Amino acid sequence: MNLLTAKSFKKLAVRPEFYVFIIILLLSLFIQAKSGLFFTNNNIVDLLRSMTVPLIYAICAYLGFISTGPDVSFPLIAALSGYLATQFVMVTGYSGSIIVVFLVAIACGLVMGAINGFIIAKYNFPSLIVTLGTTSIFSGILLGVFEAGRIKLPESMIEFGQQSLIKVTNAETGLGSSLPMTFLIAIGLYILTYLFLNFTMAGRGVFAVGGDETSAERAGFNVKKIRFGVFTVNGGLAAIAGVCYSVESTYFLPTEFAGMEMIVIAAVILGGTRLMGGVGTLTGCVLGTLLLTIVTNSLILVGVPIYWQKFIIGAIIIVGTAISVIQIAELKGFRRSKRKKVEVA
Amino acid sequence: MSENMISVKGIHKYFGGVHALKGVELQIKKGEVHCLAGENGCGKSTIIKVISGVHKPDGGEIEVNGVKVDHMTPSESIKQGIQIIYQDFSVFPNLTVIENLAFNKVLASKKKFVNRKEFRRIAEEAIKKINFDVDLDALVETLPVADKQLIAISRALLDNAKLIIMDEPTTALTKKEVKRMFEIINKLKDEGVTILFVSHKLEEVFEICDTVTIFRNGENVISCPVSEMDEKKFSFHMTGRHFAEVTEGKKRNLGETVLETKQLSARGFNDVSFTLRKGEILGITGQLGSGRTELSLALFGLLRPDEGEILIEDQKVNIPNPTKAQELGIALVPEDRLTEGLFLPQSIKRNIAITRLDELSNKLGVVNSELLDDESAKWVRDIGVATKNDEFPVSTLSGGNQQKVLLARWIASNPKVLILNGPTVGVDIGAKYDIHNLLRKLASAGMGIIIESDDATEIVNTCDRVLVMQKGQITAEVKEEDLNVKTLANYV
Repeated sequence: MNLLTAKSFKKLAVRPEFYVFIIILLLSLFIQAKSGLFFTNNNIVDLLRSMTVPLIYAICAYLGFISTGPDVSFPLIAALSGYLATQFVMVTGYSGSIIVVFLVAIACGLVMGAINGFIIAKYNFPSLIVTLGTTSIFSGILLGVFEAGRIKLPESMIEFGQQSLIKVTNAETGLGSSLPMTFLIAIGLYILTYLFLNFTMAGRGVFAVGGDETSAERAGFNVKKIRFGVFTVNGGLAAIAGVCYSVESTYFLPTEFAGMEMIVIAAVILGGTRLMGGVGTLTGCVLGTLLLTIVTNSLILVGVPIYWQKFIIGAIIIVGTAISVIQIAELKGFRRSKRKKVEVA
Repeated sequence: MSENMISVKGIHKYFGGVHALKGVELQIKKGEVHCLAGENGCGKSTIIKVISGVHKPDGGEIEVNGVKVDHMTPSESIKQGIQIIYQDFSVFPNLTVIENLAFNKVLASKKKFVNRKEFRRIAEEAIKKINFDVDLDALVETLPVADKQLIAISRALLDNAKLIIMDEPTTALTKKEVKRMFEIINKLKDEGVTILFVSHKLEEVFEICDTVTIFRNGENVISCPVSEMDEKKFSFHMTGRHFAEVTEGKKRNLGETVLETKQLSARGFNDVSFTLRKGEILGITGQLGSGRTELSLALFGLLRPDEGEILIEDQKVNIPNPTKAQELGIALVPEDRLTEGLFLPQSIKRNIAITRLDELSNKLGVVNSELLDDESAKWVRDIGVATKNDEFPVSTLSGGNQQKVLLARWIASNPKVLILNGPTVGVDIGAKYDIHNLLRKLASAGMGIIIESDDATEIVNTCDRVLVMQKGQITAEVKEEDLNVKTLANYV
């Protein structure tokens, strides 16, 4: 093997994404070997469908960590904006483009995100506390003030949810599955986020602020504006996820949203996003989400009871995090031993 | 045109009720390396912040290039060509060298999008100015401290800096790195850049600076060419105290051997054999990475030796952990007191007493607070910690006084062997003098003391015998009669 590829392999091998990828590979091969049902067209499409909403949430969690710290409010922002958009359609009897429904939800989400952003940026409060607080408030508004219950979605929304991108049927088992249009939305959002983070100064600012706040300020980044922006955008993203989730299930289910934040955050951390800020990739978000989706979706194929899934998810998170911690320690150890060699030489 | 790059006159600054700057003057000539010295809290940092526009002065005036500047703001000061290299270097550890170098300039030009080619061009231009050789695509967190500083310097030069203010730039650097930095400073000087060098390290001031200004308690006490300054004058102006030449405790009677190592090896050093006698102060010196830090860790049970023996009072001992080390009468005052030694937010009292809690508590393990108060008060008095109240957190003390608290804690446990790693790093002259005296006093009382230090003057002034370490081995032993700064420099 020539030196260059060996070197680039080494570089790759220290990335947490690489390990998540290996785990995904091993896990899927294991499930395939045991059940023969993993690499089937309907299972793959099923996985992609289940990933759609968590993938969008993952961007929220990712942006939060990169710039500031945890954002746990996205599921409830998704729920409340999804509800408001649904109500808008029901009350006005609007039956036009689904885009308008999304826009209504996004507007609501942006407002809620802006509340988070305002408190966090202006008063410099920890984002975890603030978003926990607003989560509770949004939940209170949804279930208490609006008394939201289970709602069958209006026709126009259901129609959008039933349009499919790909439809497959497994020739052997006869099981069918379809990939909804919402998957395209998730892909689009990843592309937009990628372009924003890598090719705009504001996007680099998100990393700079997360890396060192004081340095960012001295360099000329507007730290408060960037933080406010991130949490506001998170609100908008969450709203999109909320509508996607509803149209996929054809019902608005107000109590189904809460609790998603933990597994999404776990996926993002697993994918190598650093809790302390400034470090992490979108690839990592996708891989982390994929891994946890496989665990929740496909372990059932090898007969693992549903209760054990949580156990396995927990174990994966701990092992996954441990790997990156060991890596950092090794990296330091590696440097020390290198220095020692120089001394002796 | 004025011959002064910057001139501040009669600057006053209040923080609440504290009069931090009492009408200070500072004239820096174009193209000179000007040193600003003074003990902690003398107003050095405040005047820097006034010059850079971070603090608004409560009186006085600032002239840049002979032109009065009414309202100095951070952006105005950058426009005037004033750049500060902060102690923390203001870098982004999570980003590449390229981005660290290019951000300021790109942001200043109000560009909204990232142009990678332009980023790289800016970065290359920046490192070329000081012939800085670095992997531009590396993440800054993977680089050594010295490189982070060079990033900060080259970034400052990009903005056409005319005056670079360096706030204690050598604190975290090894000797070699300091030398390299001085070369860069000289190069900048040749190119006509003016430098304000903030430091309280005597040797550095004499080596690199043309002019020196000393602040004390918010007033400037002297400003003169370095050639008119000497060590004694420097210490006097810094502290306002005259230091007598130390003779007391210099000649001590050495007792029997208290600590001995035989062919001791561990990660970082190998085959180290030496003895330490009661009442002796043994210096261990060597570059960073010479293995001296590891040696002290091994003696304190923080690093497991691979081979060899440690003997305490001729008894072979095994030191698996610090608790055992303390039982055997070994104490270690670590190099980085802030992260390894002190509980900064806790009170001075608690910090002093922590190693002795067992003795200060009753059978049930409940601490007797009266005993604790007495103990703490005694040490604060004996060792001269400058504080009004020992209930204050340690973080409120100056570096020198924090070090005294740490010393008090270990001395309180009355060890047989006291190991100090860089005992006066970041400590001002007055406190340094006090600490050295204290160590001599302890040695006279029969304690065996090991001082690990880079500071040649410190070693010469306090030690009876010095071991020089290089590449993990003892390469020389210098006896007291041969001990002076010059011979030591030859060995290191």
